[in-house]
Amino acid sequence: MICCKECIELLHDYLDGELSPEIEASLEEHFADCPPCIAFVNTYKSTTRLCKDTLKSNDIPDTVKSRLKEFVDKNKNT
Amino acid sequence: MGFSDSTKDKVTEKQLVKDLQAGEMGSFEQLANLYHEKIYSLTFNLTRNAMDAQDVTQEVLLILFRKGHTFQGKSAFSSWVYRITLNASYMKLRSRKREPNVSIDDLLPSFNKAGFQQEKIQDWSESTESLLVNNEIRKVIQKAVDLLPDKEKVVFILRDVEGLSTEKVGNILELTIPAVKSRLHRARLFLRKKLAAYFGEFKTRKESK
Repeated sequence: MICCKECIELLHDYLDGELSPEIEASLEEHFADCPPCIAFVNTYKSTTRLCKDTLKSNDIPDTVKSRLKEFVDKNKNT
Repeated sequence: MGFSDSTKDKVTEKQLVKDLQAGEMGSFEQLANLYHEKIYSLTFNLTRNAMDAQDVTQEVLLILFRKGHTFQGKSAFSSWVYRITLNASYMKLRSRKREPNVSIDDLLPSFNKAGFQQEKIQDWSESTESLLVNNEIRKVIQKAVDLLPDKEKVVFILRDVEGLSTEKVGNILELTIPAVKSRLHRARLFLRKKLAAYFGEFKTRKESK
């Protein structure tokens, strides 16, 4: 059976569905018997989701938006 | 959202880029509409400073305006824009004093000789399911990302935050696919550990109430 270290090294490819069926099955066999790894996978996924939700919401402030618009208008007319 | 309704992108980006290459500047405004938010968001995540993000966005738009006709089309136009944005952001960062990055290796998981996890792993994922990202968590995440070494940070932002494909990120940064995957994985491990420290504490605080 593969160990936690190998599972965690393969986690990126596992979550992207890029492992061969045999290796994927070995990982799942390990997970079935290893609550710490299940906790690790769950929190790894939560980390990705939370970071994305937090950092994706960088809306441009309206003042900056209007400054950029002025900037584009000025340039396109030169 | 674009600058104005009149500039909705009816023409494909490919055509707009062709026009820009041919020196037809009418396409500039539409390309600026398509890209200014992406440029701003990437720069803001790298610099964490609204003023810097605004400066860099203007600078990149100016390069598109002045040098768009020199774009040779060897890689995708978007890759070119991202590369210019990264260079301009790094120039900006060089002019600022920054906190030193911590060693990423100190925050990677540790294993015993048999390859089993040594630390106690708490599963705090459920406490994040219904969680709205509040200011406290936002700050924790921003601080953790700011501490990432540059090599891992840029891959993480392009891939996980901006949602670009592994291939595209490799193309922009001139990295192999395994290198992109490895840096992204290291970044996620680092951030997971930082969040674990926060949520572990959060859980303890909740339980003691």
